[in-house]
Amino acid sequence: MDMNEIKEIFFQECEEQLAELESGLLKLNDGDRDPETVNAVFRAVHSIKGGAGAFGLDDLVAFAHVFETTLDCVRSNKLEPTPDVLKVMLKSADVLADLTNAARDGGSVDESRSRALVKELEALANGQPLSQAAAAPEAPAAPAPAPVAAAAPAPTDSSGFQPIPFSFDDFPAVEEEAKDLPAYEVLFKPRSDLYAKGNDAALLLRDLSRVGEMTIFCNMDSLPTLDKLDPEAAYFHWVISIATDKGEDAIRTVFEFAEWDCDLQVKPIAEAIVSEDQPMVPVPFDLSILDEEPAPAEVKAEAPAPSPAAETVAAAETATAVMNAVNNAVAAKAEKKEAPAASAAAANAAAAAAANNAAGMAQTIRVDRLINLVGELVINQAMLSQSVIENDNNGASSINMGLEELQQLTREIQDSVMAIRAQPVKPVFQRMSRIVREIADMTGKSIRLITEGENTEVDKTVIDKLAEPLTHMIRNAVDHGVETPEKRIALGKNPEGTVRLTAKHRSGRILIELADDGAGINRERVRQKAIDKDLINPDANLSDEEIDNLIFLPGFSTAEKLSDISGRGVGMDVVKRSIQALGGRINISSKPGHGSVFTMSLPLTLAVLDGMVVTVAGQTLVVPLTAIVETLQPEPAAIHSFGANQRLISIRNSFCPLVDVGRILNFRSTQANPVDGVALLVESEGGGQRALMVDAIQGQRQVVIKSLEANYTHVPGIAAATILGDGRVALILDVDAVVAASRGQSLKPEMAYASAG
Amino acid sequence: MAASGSAHILKLNPVLDLNEAVGLHGQLLAMRGRDLVIDASDVQRCGTQCVQVLMSAARTWEEDQKSYRMTGVSDAFGKTMQLIGIDIDQFLVKEN
Repeated sequence: MDMNEIKEIFFQECEEQLAELESGLLKLNDGDRDPETVNAVFRAVHSIKGGAGAFGLDDLVAFAHVFETTLDCVRSNKLEPTPDVLKVMLKSADVLADLTNAARDGGSVDESRSRALVKELEALANGQPLSQAAAAPEAPAAPAPAPVAAAAPAPTDSSGFQPIPFSFDDFPAVEEEAKDLPAYEVLFKPRSDLYAKGNDAALLLRDLSRVGEMTIFCNMDSLPTLDKLDPEAAYFHWVISIATDKGEDAIRTVFEFAEWDCDLQVKPIAEAIVSEDQPMVPVPFDLSILDEEPAPAEVKAEAPAPSPAAETVAAAETATAVMNAVNNAVAAKAEKKEAPAASAAAANAAAAAAANNAAGMAQTIRVDRLINLVGELVINQAMLSQSVIENDNNGASSINMGLEELQQLTREIQDSVMAIRAQPVKPVFQRMSRIVREIADMTGKSIRLITEGENTEVDKTVIDKLAEPLTHMIRNAVDHGVETPEKRIALGKNPEGTVRLTAKHRSGRILIELADDGAGINRERVRQKAIDKDLINPDANLSDEEIDNLIFLPGFSTAEKLSDISGRGVGMDVVKRSIQALGGRINISSKPGHGSVFTMSLPLTLAVLDGMVVTVAGQTLVVPLTAIVETLQPEPAAIHSFGANQRLISIRNSFCPLVDVGRILNFRSTQANPVDGVALLVESEGGGQRALMVDAIQGQRQVVIKSLEANYTHVPGIAAATILGDGRVALILDVDAVVAASRGQSLKPEMAYASAG
Repeated sequence: MAASGSAHILKLNPVLDLNEAVGLHGQLLAMRGRDLVIDASDVQRCGTQCVQVLMSAARTWEEDQKSYRMTGVSDAFGKTMQLIGIDIDQFLVKEN
């Protein structure tokens, strides 16, 4: 177990703690005043701080420390967790998450933001009203001790802050407050085993010295003279006092891998503990900025701790002190804050991230291989039963019964293996709550996100790809969907908007719903926009639903001015495409004045697929069942020619373009007669429907998806392949690609679309 | 180095890790009874056990009333000693 792995575990724990933190804060926000909730929140921050300290993640420690202090005030009932307070706390939780990510993956955080929050948190802890704190930091930008050129100030955000370039590095780090930090006494007595196992006490001490300001006394009483010495035994033991804000755990962590081979005692030194009722422990950063503030004197009152350097010299006097000299290590100070430490930390983080990816990757590859093998097993079993049925004319033989059992077993194995990759959607949903907060903040809206069914499980590969479209949709809902509080009040609505995110299982698929109670789709404007952009024919007669679905057309954006938030040049068509890439479908239903509901239906896994096996020009194809709306046998009277080589089929008084699959895939050179085949009505990109023409339907089947790219090469119009029970390879149709290709052939695709209505 | 006169000089190996302790112990035992100067100028890495041996030697030399000094303390050696909590100033050769 090397350091990176330990660090990786720490970051994993951080993620759990952050989730805990956020859900706790949200509970508090909902009026939960259970002390256990407050405690849980406090513990989460505290653990992150402790762990971060052990790894020398100073930024993280510093921020967590302030956060923790303020939370402590809430815990001790000195600070009422009002919505305003919780708003700050939730933002702080976000920053904490950013800092954690930055520590793990490198990169930087928005320092002006974290700085502003530090200020707010301090103000809260000091019992100052928020507004006062908000006003305070405007003035003293100049006297920053080391005016590092940080990022240019971001535009003033809604809370009225003027961000000041800020860097944690500008401030003297932990040792200044060493005097006020809790101190611990550590008794460390290695046994010979420690050395025998290749551990070295010196290395442990070095790690320990990084935890905090350390004073060490080496007890050599048991050291014999040279002739009686066993050079490989343990004689030294140490009494160490260490001042650190990282807690006892951080100290114990240092000895984690040696604890069986040494006697270890860690206990707080009572006098040195900062009393609980002193709410504000001086924080290392920010001191200079507070200077001009009339604010709490104690914050800036601390003089630097006496330099331990002087103490080192003191011991040099007595010759007899060889045996039991009390020495004060300067090493701690010298080594701890050296510049290389910082860069080393960064390097470690990068390495850890790499290791993390590598480890995660290896795990994924193994599971993928397992799933692949189970897929093979399913195919093999299907082939076996088929050949048994073909060769067995005697009817119910024992082989058949055995096969049936085998079939059930393989199905069960398949389900269980799929379950390995199944994960709850909770992490993705949690990320959304942050996005809602941030965007609500930026747009000055007040929005409440309600999530339901977070524990609904779905394949990890689906989850990974879900975040992006979901983020985009949430942005849209908050930015364009929900109105401003003023407007809502004028409309007689609750000024606080609601966005509801729901996940549930529905007939073997996962259904994700995103509902807002905003203005809904402005159909007149959407329609006008579509006409302006030449997306539809001005005369087209579209139903409400069709108009709503126009927003999924490529190049469509209804917002009058492109905002920072959702107008990034990508529209809902991108969302739709990524959902479709997952084998899913997306729909919108909107009620003007009451909001919109986006419904996404996704497969639970990307490894198997329910498909309809069809024949086209002698080839066997699989059409994903999810794409198919209905199947029908065309009547000659329903077929109408349109232009040179387009045909339409009339279904229940509306026209739908016919797409000859065999022609588009070049399976045949002439158009097939629709009357001889079957039409599959499919939902296509842009909300319209198309009728895919195939020769015959063989049946419905669950098929194991085999990547065509991995085994052969990408084929346009084909999504993947599978192996059927008779051992033949069947291609899985990429419905959207085929539909797009059919559009490409037509001269004016928009016309075709409009006529579809 | 005039002060050390007839003293033996033991030049420490660059790496004094756990494996070196036995060897160092042997070297020092062989030099017992004579004034000794430890030359730590090459030390790049030093483990606790070697420090134990060196300190045990210091104690032994003191009992034998022989001089036991150090010279040319490298950074790494100095830092390790500080870390372990051993003051080496007392062993350093005085400039005289």
